[in-house]
Amino acid sequence: MPKRFDQARPFLTLALVGLAWLLVPVVVKTFTRASFFELTAPLSVAPSYARDLQEYWTLRLHTNSELIEAGRDLARLNASYEESVQQNLSLQAEIARLEELLRLPAYADYRSEHARVVRRDFSGWWQRLVIRKGQNYGIPVGAPVIFAGGVVGRVSEVHTYTAVVELISDPTVRLAAVVEGETQPISFQGGINTTFDPPKGVIEFVPLNVFASSTMPKKLVTSGLGGVFPPGLSLGTITKVEPSLDGLYKTGEVQLDPRLMSLTEVTVLVPRNPE
Amino acid sequence: MAANDTNLADRSGSLVESHKSYQPRVIFFHFVILALLATLVAGLAYQQLFNTARHRDTERMQNQRRILVPGPRGNIYDREGRLLVGNRPRFAVVLYLDELKAEFISEARIIRRNYAEAGDKDLPTRDQFNQIARASVVQRYLDQVNQILQRHGNVDLVDLRKHFSRELLLPYTLIDDLEPADYAKLVERLPVKSPLQVYASSTRFYPYGSTLAHTLGYIGVETDIDAEDFPGDDLKTFKMKGTIGRDGLEKVFDTRLQGEAGGSIFRVSPAGYKINPPLEKRLPVQGKNLVTSIDLDLQRVAEEAIVKIAGDDMVGSVVALDVRTGEVLVMASKPDYDLTHFTPRPSHDTIADIEARQAWSNRTISSAYPPGSTFKILTSIAAMRAGAIDPDTPIIDCEGTLRKNNRTYYCYNGRGHHGEVLLADAIADSCDIYFYQAGWLTDAEVVAAEARRFHLDQKTGIELPHETGRMVIPDKAYKERVRGEKWYPGDTANMAIGQGDVLVTPLLMACFTASVARNEVITQPTLIHHDNAPTQHTESIGLTAKQRAALLAGMEGCITHGTAAKTLALPEFHIPGVRFGGKTGTAQVPGKKNVAWFICFAPLENPEIAVAVAIEGDTPNEEYGGGRYAAPIGATILRKYFDKRNHPPAFSTPIKPE
Repeated sequence: MPKRFDQARPFLTLALVGLAWLLVPVVVKTFTRASFFELTAPLSVAPSYARDLQEYWTLRLHTNSELIEAGRDLARLNASYEESVQQNLSLQAEIARLEELLRLPAYADYRSEHARVVRRDFSGWWQRLVIRKGQNYGIPVGAPVIFAGGVVGRVSEVHTYTAVVELISDPTVRLAAVVEGETQPISFQGGINTTFDPPKGVIEFVPLNVFASSTMPKKLVTSGLGGVFPPGLSLGTITKVEPSLDGLYKTGEVQLDPRLMSLTEVTVLVPRNPE
Repeated sequence: MAANDTNLADRSGSLVESHKSYQPRVIFFHFVILALLATLVAGLAYQQLFNTARHRDTERMQNQRRILVPGPRGNIYDREGRLLVGNRPRFAVVLYLDELKAEFISEARIIRRNYAEAGDKDLPTRDQFNQIARASVVQRYLDQVNQILQRHGNVDLVDLRKHFSRELLLPYTLIDDLEPADYAKLVERLPVKSPLQVYASSTRFYPYGSTLAHTLGYIGVETDIDAEDFPGDDLKTFKMKGTIGRDGLEKVFDTRLQGEAGGSIFRVSPAGYKINPPLEKRLPVQGKNLVTSIDLDLQRVAEEAIVKIAGDDMVGSVVALDVRTGEVLVMASKPDYDLTHFTPRPSHDTIADIEARQAWSNRTISSAYPPGSTFKILTSIAAMRAGAIDPDTPIIDCEGTLRKNNRTYYCYNGRGHHGEVLLADAIADSCDIYFYQAGWLTDAEVVAAEARRFHLDQKTGIELPHETGRMVIPDKAYKERVRGEKWYPGDTANMAIGQGDVLVTPLLMACFTASVARNEVITQPTLIHHDNAPTQHTESIGLTAKQRAALLAGMEGCITHGTAAKTLALPEFHIPGVRFGGKTGTAQVPGKKNVAWFICFAPLENPEIAVAVAIEGDTPNEEYGGGRYAAPIGATILRKYFDKRNHPPAFSTPIKPE
């Protein structure tokens, strides 16, 4: 065999494999892709469990006195949470009474599913998380995901043991928001965010009577009108609005919670009665 | 063997063509081919070197398309910066058909296959297959929207076909004028990169409905928008619908209010589908704003007063002017129409209703009425300037009737006898007989000339369309020309009290009142506000101090003890600390509806505001007194004006003229 052909063999093989892949039926490709996610899922989940184990043994090294002190702190915290829970219950009852009185539509009821973040994937192309729960916990595609600081994003893919969450900083995520205390809906969309920059979003169709700046920011919350996210969840703070050239609306910039970039635990809101 | 070789040599020798290097016939063809080649090369050179521009243009025309988007119109504000007409966003869910080329082709293939499998022999044409495929794909996208919004809707096939063939590059509207909740649902649930998108445009927004409807005017649809300085005039252009002013300020200031159209130029595929990104793009820019001289508070008070005092269905108009600058503070005309019914366009029912109520007309400028007794101010001025009357000398003893030239003249305002009244009381009590006599003493020609001096026979030139030119200041020549009759003393008497052929508009009477208040002859009205508008100065009326004092005393007397006193004595019309002058009028139009008039200005010492009110009676031949129907409306406006002046708002909205 000529030497020149030997040198070209790897390229030829690659071309043949590429050609073969093109000829493979779509069903096989889809199956392969799904299988790949399922097969690699343990690889993503395993480090997460290892981190949990590491944290466990770190805690085991604390002295008894430290643990007793932490236990007391925890008891105090629990007491305050108990009180907050009681207050929440009475407020919820009051809200339900007012909703009934004003005949307001009741928002979809959600079941909370807390999930551990196993991987964060931030780049200029997309901003997403992989969480350690999937079909095994009944998580559906499109479910809203929240954390203590407000909205995280929504579930875009669900696998057997994991799910992918698109963050609100991702440019493909768009939702209907309102300025806190206002009623006019605004379109919020994730911005073009690079890996290490603080996350940002953009707002469009902002009414002309909305004013905000970095010195006088306004809080942006979910409107609840879109039917995906419940109302009143924090999205970020509007730090800049400027009128568009056509004078009809304003456009602006929203500073998102920087904790989005270091989340370890999130809550998926699973609708009890999906449409 | 040797023999054979010889034979072969012979044969081959016979077979070899004799060839000469020089063949004249071949050379000829060389020249022919060369000539042809030279022609081709020359043609190519001509096309490539000299015709380049034409080919480039042809290629550009074939491959590029231009889309023009109108700019939103400018806003209209009142003098204090309150929005009278603005723009509100209008959301629609649209489908970008030009992004669906692959789906259309695939769908057409499926439909064709289904027909083939069904064995249908009556196959549609290729064009029909494509239309069915397009309708099917668009319906599929509409179903997505239907599902999100919980509604049912089908694609309008005719509309879709028309849009596809004529406006492929423009978004196809599936649902227009979305409610905020629907808009929010679609924003949240439609994928960011879907060919289905929420599209925002603008439509006119009227925060005060019918207030100032005639003055503001309305807009219509303009299909031929233009983008100045935007390249590609020669390209095939798709234009979104724009607007054009059809009436009122919207019409007169259309050029100013029109936004600057934006646009984009796209390269397109041979089938006409758009190729992103655009080669050129310019955002539309909002038109310039307009700050009017209208005072919204006074305007609303005036419109409410017409309804409250005169009645729901009464026909009437009110004009109030800033005496110093001529700026129009109020321009109210009833009946009117609700401008909110004009967006996006008025329905047939709306138009029928407006026509049934005869509400199209802005009566402040388009209706000419006899001014009635308000004209006596003009007669007084003419008589005093001509030296025909002296304010301190009675000219006649009013006994309720006057017999002259075999005709009896009545004093329609007499409650018995006015007696030997002086000018001031004659004005206050509106004594007709005094003014008949004043007219005769002055002469009709002099009175008519005085009226013309005040431009009562001319259009004011205010910035509004449809100002009538039917004003009449009659004289001998007019009567001869129009009726072919002689001028009689009775005509003079009629003219002296604002009856007969005299016709003026409410706006003209407001200008006349402002002029009298300034002691000048002309007031040029304007609807445009300027922060530091100069005080108007024209020719002085030319009265002596004594004559002017008598005139003003008469006008004040009208309010304090004259024809308007009874109504204006009511507490709701009392204006604390302000002296003002006025004159009532009741114009009788034989066989027609009467008109109640009131003109006034205030304060008497240093006038700021002048008002003219004209209310048409709703029953023919029934008397509608100016003192009863029109004076309260004028007083209400004055009261509000001075209330605002004495209690200014804590802060005012900044006015944005640009």
